Amino acid sequence: MTGVVLAAAIGALFALGTFLLLRRDLIRVVWGLAIISQAANVYLLTMGGIAPATADSVPVLAGRGEHVPVTADPLVQALVLTAIVIGFGMTAFALVLSYRVYEEHDTLDVTELGDRE
Amino acid sequence: MSPDLAIVVAAVALPFVVAALTPVLFRVLGEGTGFAGTAVALTSFGLLATQYGREGAVALPWVPSRNIALQFYVDGWALLFALLACGIGALIFSYSPAYMHGESGLVRYYAALLAFMGSIVGVALAADLIAIFLFWELTSLASFVLIGYYTADDSSQYAARMAMFITVGGGLFLLVGLLLLSVVAGDVLGPGAAFDLAAMLENPDEMQGALRDRGLFLPVLGLLAIGAGTKSAQVPLHFWLPNAMAAPTPVSAFLHSATMVKVGVYFVGRTRPLLVSAEWLFLFASLGLTTMTVCAILAVASTDIKELLAYSTASHLGLMIAGFGFTSVYGAEAGVFHLLNHALFKAALFLVAGIVAHEAGTREIDELGGLRRDLPITAAITTVVALSMAGIPPFNGFYSKELLFEAAVEASHHHDIGILGWLYPAVAVFGSIFTVLYSLKFLSLFFGERPEGLDHVHRPPVSLLVPPAVLALLAAFVSVDPQRAVDLIVQSGLEATAVDPHEMHVGIPTSYSPALGMSAVTIGVGLLAYPTYGRLHDGIRAIPRTVPQVGANWWYDTVVDGLSDEGRRFAETVHNGMLRTYATWTLGATCALALAGFVAAGAIEPTALGIKATVPIALVLLVAVIGAVAVVTSDSHIAGVLTLSILGFMVAIFYILASAPDLALTQLVVETLVLLIFLLVIEEIPEYYEVGIGRVARDAVLSVAVGATAFVTVLVTTDARPDGPTEIARGYAEQAVPRGGGTNIVNVTLVDFRGFDTLGELAVVALAAISILTLIVMRGRDEGRIGPRGEDRPDDPAGARSDGDPSGGDDE
Repeated sequence: MTGVVLAAAIGALFALGTFLLLRRDLIRVVWGLAIISQAANVYLLTMGGIAPATADSVPVLAGRGEHVPVTADPLVQALVLTAIVIGFGMTAFALVLSYRVYEEHDTLDVTELGDRE
Repeated sequence: MSPDLAIVVAAVALPFVVAALTPVLFRVLGEGTGFAGTAVALTSFGLLATQYGREGAVALPWVPSRNIALQFYVDGWALLFALLACGIGALIFSYSPAYMHGESGLVRYYAALLAFMGSIVGVALAADLIAIFLFWELTSLASFVLIGYYTADDSSQYAARMAMFITVGGGLFLLVGLLLLSVVAGDVLGPGAAFDLAAMLENPDEMQGALRDRGLFLPVLGLLAIGAGTKSAQVPLHFWLPNAMAAPTPVSAFLHSATMVKVGVYFVGRTRPLLVSAEWLFLFASLGLTTMTVCAILAVASTDIKELLAYSTASHLGLMIAGFGFTSVYGAEAGVFHLLNHALFKAALFLVAGIVAHEAGTREIDELGGLRRDLPITAAITTVVALSMAGIPPFNGFYSKELLFEAAVEASHHHDIGILGWLYPAVAVFGSIFTVLYSLKFLSLFFGERPEGLDHVHRPPVSLLVPPAVLALLAAFVSVDPQRAVDLIVQSGLEATAVDPHEMHVGIPTSYSPALGMSAVTIGVGLLAYPTYGRLHDGIRAIPRTVPQVGANWWYDTVVDGLSDEGRRFAETVHNGMLRTYATWTLGATCALALAGFVAAGAIEPTALGIKATVPIALVLLVAVIGAVAVVTSDSHIAGVLTLSILGFMVAIFYILASAPDLALTQLVVETLVLLIFLLVIEEIPEYYEVGIGRVARDAVLSVAVGATAFVTVLVTTDARPDGPTEIARGYAEQAVPRGGGTNIVNVTLVDFRGFDTLGELAVVALAAISILTLIVMRGRDEGRIGPRGEDRPDDPAGARSDGDPSGGDDE
């Protein structure tokens, strides 16, 4: 049952992000991007299988000696870690771009900006 | 004796190398670069001539893993074509400096011409299907550049686009045909010979049998015919060739009469032993004879000398295609011999047309006449080559046309083709009558009365006269002693293209044969009808004026204009400048495709859930969703930013609960930074932004669709996940300490196992940082410069700027 809740939560995050992406206020569009990239990260990690947090499942081998335990998938975590950082770069860039757009055009209304083209 | 790889490669590569060096050469030699081109052409010619008499394949490994090699096959047919290209190339390069004197863009002109020559030699010698296709398309590209030489001229650009569209488009058909051929060859001859045309030609029966077994014979035949037909301007795709006359005349003589347009013919001859059959006869004989007749009629309707020659070229290409189409040995003889004859007389005629246009200042047939007094040498040249074009004995064009007539008559002996057995010879004669007519018309430019309006005609410089004179002399040589030309080069070309080659004999006929009778009828009717030329000309011209649909050009314009209009309309709908439109299309299409993929794979089915989430995880994510809802409903920017942070920090906790401490740490740092940047920016923009809500209902539908897609895919994919750690995960876990020297597997993966990916990631972040810096800093600099000018621009409200900026500058 909690699995369905997890899937539903991911779906809801995607839906809310999409809704923001379609707004006319440019800042809200950036929020939408941020939420969607967060949701995608959670999605990716879920795809790799969620291991319940125990001392064994954390992919750190320090103090384990020769024994290599079965941990949560480290490859997925490495992938998501990269995705988080890229998502950060994208959000920061989009945000500064919006700020610059506001300075240049004195508006944050995406529709109005589109009409000017 | 097998050919020498180094020499063959040098002959192909030399023109390309010099083409790349053309800018340097031009700086040193100026307009004399043309003579350097002559030297290159002669060198390639000499290199290839050393391979005369040799036969066999040589290969330079290229993509060994896929069995693709830069393979060359040398035989009589390949050498004939390659030598022709180099020989005529040399003449064209010597003709160009005088003709193109004072033009701009000569670097481009000579570079394209050289690259073209290299590609044509390449296409003649290549035996690997991929190499053939590449060289084939390279010739089309060079042709595009050269047709569009006058970049400021709209009609020249139109013609270049048309030629590109038709020939490159046809090349794509050829590519599909070649790939089908390689699939079959890979099965029949082994994977090593999948792209090896030489190997296929050695086993024609097995290849043809295998093609038929798989039902691929007709598709391959059709695709190759489309490729060859577009390149060699066969009806109904002949119309690009007359338009291509927008190119400078040397280009027309070289590409659009002697070489490039013959690539299709050449390839038909090349694959003839492989595919020859009754279907082959129907297809190519009908196609060739139709083209020959239709284009000869259109040539009679021409008003411009280059247009006349262009249609005539298409007509003669039809003759060669028809020759190869006939399956008897005479057909191959006609094709090979006419390829040589046509190159000699047609290139000379184009060069003559260039002299006339250059010295008389007009190309209109009506405005020209009696030029023999002004241009006596040119008139002599024209007499030889025009009569050869007409097929008047004893000129060389006569011999190859006789062979075509003979093949047309023979056709019914080899196959049961019913009425076509009569129709083919009749059409061949009918089309040839028009050939006689327009050839005489061209010749009449030099005879008869000089029109009143014609200005003084200058004497052409020697460098314009020598190239056509050389060609005319060669044509005369072949006319006088055709058997010698046959023994020298045509016979070996015949052996490569005919199924059952025999000793070829040509000469003035001494006894009656049906073909001789056909020639007599052709020439007789042509001479009798010549006085009515004016009426014929007007009559044919009237047809497309009354019924435009009859012209292929009309169809081209209608289709292309229709497509551009539709494209523009479509672009305006989809690409309308509205972010929401793009987002809607992108997200909607992604969801539809993703779900369609799952449905197609039959993966959507209710199964036990593969994920096991604990209650804390569910709770944390619920809080995250509530945070997201708060972001959506927040009415001020500051509230939105803060609630967005709730979401981010909840995701961080989720990472902790999902045994991913590194992700949690990164997420916390990133979330803090994002919050800071948001707060900094929010300072500079309005706290509330009042814009209309927009179409909430529609947006909600799309959002729910996206959310539902994510929901469904999570449910169905996590179930399909294999149990236990994957092989890669296990490998990374085991190798982390021994090979990476670190105990944190994720860290070792990032900096060691997948170090280059991380480098790419860092590059992205660095790029974002630089862009952000630029966006902020450049603004400050611009302000100082355009500030004073800003007042002059009424459309740029200066007030808006001064409101936002001073504070912005302070903060940063």
